Amino acid sequence: MRFKSLALGVAGLLALPATASAQSTTATAGPFPVTGNVPALCSGGTLTGGNTSFDLGVLINTATGLLRSDLAAAPKVLTGAFCTSRSRISISATPLQSVTDTAAPGSGFSRSVNYTASAAGWTTNPAQFATASGSNPAASQDRGTAFQGDITVSIGSFSTAGGDTLRLIADPSYQGTVTVTLAVAN
Amino acid sequence: MRKRLALTVLGLLGSTSAAAQSNSATTRTMTVDATVPRSCTVGAPTLQPSGQVNFKGLNGSSLQIDQLVDPTTLSTNAASIEVHFEAICNLPHRLKIETQNNGLWQVQERGLSRPSGFANAIPYRARLDWSNDVLQLNADARVRRIAESSLLVSESRLGDLRLRLDIDAGSTNVQTNAPIIAGSYGDTLRIFLEPQQ
Repeated sequence: MRFKSLALGVAGLLALPATASAQSTTATAGPFPVTGNVPALCSGGTLTGGNTSFDLGVLINTATGLLRSDLAAAPKVLTGAFCTSRSRISISATPLQSVTDTAAPGSGFSRSVNYTASAAGWTTNPAQFATASGSNPAASQDRGTAFQGDITVSIGSFSTAGGDTLRLIADPSYQGTVTVTLAVAN
Repeated sequence: MRKRLALTVLGLLGSTSAAAQSNSATTRTMTVDATVPRSCTVGAPTLQPSGQVNFKGLNGSSLQIDQLVDPTTLSTNAASIEVHFEAICNLPHRLKIETQNNGLWQVQERGLSRPSGFANAIPYRARLDWSNDVLQLNADARVRRIAESSLLVSESRLGDLRLRLDIDAGSTNVQTNAPIIAGSYGDTLRIFLEPQQ
């Protein structure tokens, strides 16, 4: 859009001096090259679902104090994402941790839950990040062509940090973050 | 004019190029939210045979003394028992033990007054071990009443909550080795694990 209005402005300004010259003698001006470019850019689209939270509710089986085995959250979809050039999608995440009680838990307890976050739909293999893993080579995936489409962001494979025999300490707020980055690839 | 025009065009292209740089990457951040409710649980009691003296054992949640009275002295027989409970509190909490009668008292008292020289209640000691914390309650049987003892635990904790009951030989609510009035004797103990407010 910006390039289009620029071209019109050039034409209008050029017309005035060209007409005045024609009254005395033949003269030409130009050619004036009109150039532009399409920058390589990416847009992350719009997040559907009305909010930016994966709400897991209660983390534990209240009878045992252990992490629930049926934890799940509805995926989030980034609709209308696009990149005008080859691109790289990356995902990172932080473990769920108690927000209010940050003290070291007692023996047999944990205050942290690991999980895997993934971003699918942009590349053949989804970008995946496991918060328990020190290395996440699949967290970045490249796409060789410009593209537009939806990106589905999901979380799963939950486990208690330190081992699934540990109980989680009480806290009204456990929180982690998932970050998806769409960038022009070099 | 041309020169200015050319500069203007270049300037516009320059700003377009700057915009492309700022949009070359875009980031979306989402939070993952959850909660863990406050919870304390105490499991069913399990008898520890090694700590059992003069008790019949555990029947449900009832502990029955085998021979409460020594047939020779007609006073109290020594008895002791230990039971464990698997317990969990996922936050700082209070451990409390409460006795309904403050000793073993006649379940059904037959008379309003106690005959002189006879005992109608038997004291005992309760001890709770909760990791490194110890909570003791001396049910002295001096007055029939509710008695309690408690302690605060400043951390989440899990493990065996160990209850030990000890009745000393000859202990009564009057003098030592006093004979005990015939009847059934009992008390009710309650153990509480309560989240701290």
